[in-house]
Amino acid sequence: MIARRSWAGVFIGLLPVASAFAQAADVAGLQRRLEEQEQKTAVLERKLEIQDETARAALPNTPVIKAGPKGFSIASQDNANVIRFRGLVHFDGRYYLDDAGLGGSDSWRTQRVRPTLEGTLYNFVDFRFMPDFGQGRTVIQDAWVTGRFRPDFQVTAGKFKSPVGLERLQSASDIRFQDRGYPTLLAPNRDLGLQVGGNFLKDALTYQVAFLNGSNDGGSSETFTDADVSDDKEWALRLFSHPFVNSGNFYLRGLGLGVAGTVTDQKGSNTQTLLSSFRTPAGQTFFSYRGAAAAAGATPASNAAIQDGDRVRITPQLYWYAGSFGLLTEYINVETDVSRQATAADPVRSDTLDNSAWQVQLSWFATGEEETYKGFTPNSVFTLGGPGWGALEFAARYQELDVDDAAFDGGALSFADPAKSASAADSIGVVVNWYLNQNVKLGLEYEHTSFDGGAAGGADLNDENALLTRVQLSF
Amino acid sequence: MTANRWLSRLAPVVALLASMHAAQAADYTLLNVSYDPTRELYEDFNAAFAKHWQATTGKTVEIRQSHGGSGKQARSVIDGLPADVVTLALAYDIDAIAANARSLPANWQSRLPDNSSPYTSTIVFLVRKGNPKGIRDWGDLVKPGVSVITPNPKTSGGARWNHLAAWGWALRQPGATEATAREYLRKLYRNVPVLDTGARGSTTTFVARGIGDVFLSWENEAFLAVEELGEGKVEIVVPSLSILAEPPVTVVDKVALRKGTRDVADAYLKYLYSPVGQDIIGKHYYRPRDPAVAAKYASRFPTLKLLTIADFGGWAKAQATHFGEGGIFDQIYLPQ
Repeated sequence: MIARRSWAGVFIGLLPVASAFAQAADVAGLQRRLEEQEQKTAVLERKLEIQDETARAALPNTPVIKAGPKGFSIASQDNANVIRFRGLVHFDGRYYLDDAGLGGSDSWRTQRVRPTLEGTLYNFVDFRFMPDFGQGRTVIQDAWVTGRFRPDFQVTAGKFKSPVGLERLQSASDIRFQDRGYPTLLAPNRDLGLQVGGNFLKDALTYQVAFLNGSNDGGSSETFTDADVSDDKEWALRLFSHPFVNSGNFYLRGLGLGVAGTVTDQKGSNTQTLLSSFRTPAGQTFFSYRGAAAAAGATPASNAAIQDGDRVRITPQLYWYAGSFGLLTEYINVETDVSRQATAADPVRSDTLDNSAWQVQLSWFATGEEETYKGFTPNSVFTLGGPGWGALEFAARYQELDVDDAAFDGGALSFADPAKSASAADSIGVVVNWYLNQNVKLGLEYEHTSFDGGAAGGADLNDENALLTRVQLSF
Repeated sequence: MTANRWLSRLAPVVALLASMHAAQAADYTLLNVSYDPTRELYEDFNAAFAKHWQATTGKTVEIRQSHGGSGKQARSVIDGLPADVVTLALAYDIDAIAANARSLPANWQSRLPDNSSPYTSTIVFLVRKGNPKGIRDWGDLVKPGVSVITPNPKTSGGARWNHLAAWGWALRQPGATEATAREYLRKLYRNVPVLDTGARGSTTTFVARGIGDVFLSWENEAFLAVEELGEGKVEIVVPSLSILAEPPVTVVDKVALRKGTRDVADAYLKYLYSPVGQDIIGKHYYRPRDPAVAAKYASRFPTLKLLTIADFGGWAKAQATHFGEGGIFDQIYLPQ
């Protein structure tokens, strides 16, 4: 009995010791688990650090891809190398309201279909490649490379817009009317050659000097299959100023004015006369020089009028964009030495023809957007069933083109036939453009054109009235 | 505290680089693209060489450094990083530059003594104070609960030396076959919680972040960690077997010729073999080639049995077998 009591006493006495051991074991276990958790946390944190380091290291080689209203682009992180994909489609309609004039068939047409690839390399070489599949043909409109060595010294080589006409130099996606005005018919379009240009005084003054193959009035080098037909070249020069671009005067900042011109000495032939025809804003030809008439063998029945000597263009130009209002105006005068030997028996007739054109355009965003020479941003975007309506713009234009009366002198020996070609045209047009967003424009335009001459017996051609529509997709 | 001490060590390097940029342009500028743990070595060596070059030629030279995992650095040079000289962890990475960038001849390794390796090193273990997990040799690395730190052999030269040393040890165990060696490595990598891209990153993981029980480390990096942290916080364990690492150096001819730095780049690398260069090498815990200098620092370095790359059939074979696409590492490594 005593022994039993003794063992029980020992057992009871050992209970606190056992409890202490158990508690110590628990603490050690907890300590171990805590350390394990700390290690796991540290490993996770370190893995995140390494991921960040790897991502940062890879960043310089990770391209930046953008897709938006201004097109699609892939660029290096430092933006030194960029490639952009752009496009322009003009789907037009022409409806002649009075078939008694120059006539013409009402028609739909794809005026421009231009996928464009452009970009920058090494932060100083720009390039552009722009084919055009519009009007059922394939033409390379732009194929040029520019080295931007300094802001005031940039060299361009390839096929590009000749630096002359103000509206011609405006992007096709930015022109307000379906076709550019009469001055553009006398200014060169795209040509092949070299150009040096740049800007001074914080963009207040820009210049371009180009040495080019030379192109007809309103024409491009593809007229000559993108190759020259003679050794003679054309010089082009343009000076343009934004005198208030750096001033605090908001209304004057958008004023730009300048002068441009070309000079060349070239001689055409029966097949490449170097002389152009002129069209109304609705695309109907109202003036042409006399062409060669075919006869048996190599000898034509009659020869064409050709450029034969100097051609000098000069064009003062101005635009002014202030708030929702825009003004664009330009004048161009072209002096061209022309000759024609109607038949082998006739004397060679030579003269210097003095053709000129001018236009004034006014534009206004009824929805309050800012008018600019290049691009715009709509205040709202059209949303089907939503509150946005896009931007609404109204524009009006008056323009004249005058052909030198001397072109019609000489009867059958004249450079142009007065019974078929008008000596002058004046047009007034109005257009309403609805920009659903920055990329889609719907245009509805009315054009009225009057003529001097151009009909039999010295009568005037009937007035032309046309309704023009445009669907534009650009990005 | 630990991280702060490491950062404070990096600060003078950053300051030096910044001041080098601000300084007046030197007659020559060299870019030395090197592997991860050589920062401190070349910091001292570059200063010594610049002084030597000015004294002997009267010209000034500025040497810029770039460091990272050896394989990653080789890739950068192939992709256009304009290195005048490369000083990488292993010959295969320079072979890759010769083969892919064609910027130096295939026989580059014969242009300088000792296979163009001015020093050697090896792989040792760095463990926590008191070696709580009792890690003595390669076999201990695969025990359950042992956390091993080593960089990624795809990007780090040091990691490739680690991998081959472990493979060599496993193959030399009684009854070993390639299958048992493969299983050994599978278990080892299973104990690796995180793969850094380079040796210096792994040092940060083990030393500054306190992760892992053992760090498979370049010998010089292990000494540096002990020196930085103070003896008693980490310990070096020398395994029964390791590998003779021979980090090579060479001029990148195409770049040096284009920049007109060929002569100074040649002289730069040859100076590594000079008594002054060898002494700087020894001071930074690399094993000098020069017998006299090696004798001076012999007491620092333990004697151990070392495999060589020849035991693995050379770098081309070792690379293809172990580290190439679908190689042994790809087959056995499963990310944690």
